Amino acid sequence: MAAQVVAREAPNRPMVPISYYLLLAAALFCMGMFGVMVRRNALVIFMCVELMLNAANLTFLAFARMHGDSVGHVSAFFVIAVAAAEAAIGLAIVIAVFRSRGSVLVEDIRTMKH
Amino acid sequence: MNLSQFLQTAPVAPDVLAPSLWLIIALPLLGAFICGVFGKMLGRANVNLVACSAVGGAFVLSVLAFWATSDTDPESRRLLSFFVNPFGTERDYVRYALAHDYGTWFAVGDFRVNFGLMVDHLSGTLLLVITGVGFLIHLYSTSYMEHDESYWRYFAYLNLFVAAMLTLVLADNLVLLFVGWEGVGMASYLLIGFWYTDPAKAWAGRKAFVTNRIGDFAFLIATFLMVLLVGAFTEQANERDYTMANSSSQRYSAALQEKGTVTFLGLQKMAEAIPEGGGGAVMLSTPIAAGPLEGYTFGGVMTAAMLLFLLGAAGKSAQLPLYVWLPDAMAGPTPVSALIHAATMVTAGVYLFSRMSALLVLSPTAMATVAIIGALTSLLAALIAFAQDDIKKVLAYSTVSQLGIMFMGVGMGVFWAAVLHLVTHAFFKACLFLGAGSVMHGNGDETDIKKLGGLRHEMKWTWGTFFVATLAITGIIPLSGFFSKDAIFHGVHHNHLEGLHWVSSVVYYLGLLIAACTAFYMTRVYLLTFEGQRSKEAKLAHAHESAWQMTLPLVVLAVLSVVSAVYAWPLMKAPGDGRPQPVFENFLSPVFASMNRIVATGKTVALDTSVPAMGDYVFAWLVAVSGGALAGFLYLRFFPARAGQPAPAFARAVRRTAQNKFYVDELYELAIIRPVKFMSFILFRVVDALLIDTVAVRGTAWVTARVGSALRYVQSGDAQAYAAVMALALLGGVAYALIQVLQ
Amino acid sequence: MNIELILFGAFALLTLLSAGTVIFARSPINSAMALVSTFFFLAGLYVLLWAHTVAVLQVMVYAGAIMVLFLFVIMLLNLGESPTRGRPTLARIVGGAATLGLLVVLGIALSKLPSGPPPSLGVEGQATFGTMATMGQVVFTQWLLPFEAVSLLLLVAMVGAVVVAKSRI
Repeated sequence: MAAQVVAREAPNRPMVPISYYLLLAAALFCMGMFGVMVRRNALVIFMCVELMLNAANLTFLAFARMHGDSVGHVSAFFVIAVAAAEAAIGLAIVIAVFRSRGSVLVEDIRTMKH
Repeated sequence: MNLSQFLQTAPVAPDVLAPSLWLIIALPLLGAFICGVFGKMLGRANVNLVACSAVGGAFVLSVLAFWATSDTDPESRRLLSFFVNPFGTERDYVRYALAHDYGTWFAVGDFRVNFGLMVDHLSGTLLLVITGVGFLIHLYSTSYMEHDESYWRYFAYLNLFVAAMLTLVLADNLVLLFVGWEGVGMASYLLIGFWYTDPAKAWAGRKAFVTNRIGDFAFLIATFLMVLLVGAFTEQANERDYTMANSSSQRYSAALQEKGTVTFLGLQKMAEAIPEGGGGAVMLSTPIAAGPLEGYTFGGVMTAAMLLFLLGAAGKSAQLPLYVWLPDAMAGPTPVSALIHAATMVTAGVYLFSRMSALLVLSPTAMATVAIIGALTSLLAALIAFAQDDIKKVLAYSTVSQLGIMFMGVGMGVFWAAVLHLVTHAFFKACLFLGAGSVMHGNGDETDIKKLGGLRHEMKWTWGTFFVATLAITGIIPLSGFFSKDAIFHGVHHNHLEGLHWVSSVVYYLGLLIAACTAFYMTRVYLLTFEGQRSKEAKLAHAHESAWQMTLPLVVLAVLSVVSAVYAWPLMKAPGDGRPQPVFENFLSPVFASMNRIVATGKTVALDTSVPAMGDYVFAWLVAVSGGALAGFLYLRFFPARAGQPAPAFARAVRRTAQNKFYVDELYELAIIRPVKFMSFILFRVVDALLIDTVAVRGTAWVTARVGSALRYVQSGDAQAYAAVMALALLGGVAYALIQVLQ
Repeated sequence: MNIELILFGAFALLTLLSAGTVIFARSPINSAMALVSTFFFLAGLYVLLWAHTVAVLQVMVYAGAIMVLFLFVIMLLNLGESPTRGRPTLARIVGGAATLGLLVVLGIALSKLPSGPPPSLGVEGQATFGTMATMGQVVFTQWLLPFEAVSLLLLVAMVGAVVVAKSRI
């Protein structure tokens, strides 16, 4: 068992800096946010929100790797669970809205007006 | 086994009973809860049963507790009811007492208050009075309130009152006592205004409450002063001080930490360490070195605190200047007047000072004030009682007057006699009030004694008991009232306050006058109500005697007001020199032992322990009889003979002034209530109506509404616009953070 | 060049490409499929970070469960390509610009970070870090209450989804 582990460890030290992951996460987050800002379809906006959540997850995991601490993993796990709940509710709302208005475009859903 | 051995062998051992003391309070509280919440569902009979058995249960427990305070091992004759005083040395025992600490109520920094209950001979006596008389009055009420719709509310309040009063008596510290103090005040307010649909009665309740609040405020300030005083004492005292009090600094501060700051035992120890002559670092004339009281002496602060306690006690016990609420409190049901405004609550002030006797004797000034206030109140109330025609009002003023006598006793250092008078007064005044209630019940709620009369033949039981109680209060040998009152007057005459010798004689002669007045007005009430012919203005043609639930308590109380005279008889031998000593003084001596030690070292008061001689008795008796005889002459011979003619001028003048209660209410109206009302009006107009209402409240609403309607246009309903704003904010925040970090 | 760096580069590039497809595809179904592939590549990145368990969860929960839900809804609502492109409103322009600005700011911030490789996990760490056992250890001891709260949240979400989707608004 120990020998196996040593073999995995031995050849090379980790090469990719954590900041690369963070940059990637930032880019992913901004792409998701961009989608939320510009798309009209509520479903696609939802997907973009999922992108943003994943960017956050990536950051969590990157930091967990950096500190060698499992708390980041647990957080990511919770984020996934919450995302599942959010998707269920959100999609239910989309269905309900579609039933009542026949559209899923955000510009057609302006009931929050004053 | 002889009687004394029987009385000293408790059925329940003190250490077994002590942890269950809380039940004495909990039972009436539970009763109040059941009657208050489920009373309407339970129905009248069940409510009666619950309320009476709650108080009855508390009475049984009180008897056990009282018994346990004197528990002695029958074999070795060794006392079993004692515990180590936590504030003294390990060998300092509090004898004839049991106590239990139920843990911390709250602790703020060094200040701690525990749920501690203690029963000694003083609080034990009061326990019996409260639960015993309380039970009789509950029983009486079941009949008295039989036609009232809100019977469940009545019994809930009455049980609540008993619970609060028991808390007051059982508490082993000032703060817990204050809980009871406020509790009885609230119960009293609720019961005075019991028939709240009548605005006058609701108003009387409010008057009692507000007047009491003034006293309670003083009580609180006094408590704070005590806290500061204890703090200063622990800072400045040296071991010699503690030795004087049979304690040590280590034990004392540990007990302060553990038991709380304002426990009575702790305050007592402090008082024992303070007197002059011991040679410690803290004496009455020592200035306080630091803190808010810096520069004042211990004695000065003690006097101030005691005077504030006096104001507090004056509020609760209806003394000058706060007595005005008690006569109006007669608006409540009559059993309430008997229980709260005669037997128990109003004696709380006397109890408070007896409980803190060790502190009070440190300040002759405060004692003199207490005695003089008591004497003046007593005289004023007795004079007002001359001309009141409402039977309950007469009894109310008589209560004020009798409380004044107790205050005289407390002020002159005859604590035991004051407490004895408290007990006997509870018996005969409760009997009188219940008798008055019975008279009202049997005469269609008629309270005007001018419209009663001749009831002697129609209400035999009521007449008999009322007669006995009247004899007791007027001070006729051999009833209890004579002995307890005489014990107070004897003590007042022979005790002397250091530097204030004149107080003793002044108060004594006022006391004789009061005794004569008491006899006069009580005889008048009795004669007008029960003797002579039935008045032509009577509401009912024939009175009817009340049910057994009402007459039985009357009989029991009448018997008690006769037999309790035994306590004042010098049947015991004093512990030291074997002189004859009154039973009650002997009985309460453990409670006042600390006070006696302080008096012995401090010499602030010269206490006389002689018993009255036969000549003193005869003199006091003559005074009472002369007052009664005068009333008898006036109301049996003089006025009936002149029926139809206008009364003589002197009688009319006396009557007018007395009937108007010496214009005290009017004076208060002019000097206090009007200015306060005027100030309140200004405050109402300027601060409340203008600043708070118009500017602050409506102004805020107006601004919010304006801003809101302006911001409405931002709300487009477009979710993406909102998201864009959020994005901008995020960008701004992150950019700001970045700039901060880079710099 | 080492294999880790190559893999990272490949996954990163593919993730960004797929994400771009998600936000720019005309048809929701294309977006959804691109999102699935994004999740897969992200899972690869997670593995590179020694987060095996989370990577597996990512594939199962996200790519599996959540995306199936999305696809169901798209098909249920029968959404085709939207006939017209939306007008570029002020809100969209401002939001897009702010997002790009945020990207720039974050880029500047992150480029200031030291770019050395992360510390080695060590022999013990490599054997345990990110495994199911370690995570289970932490979740069921230190994070038990949040874990239970999340289970409650999922229940509420489930019931809520049924109620909302069933009734008419």
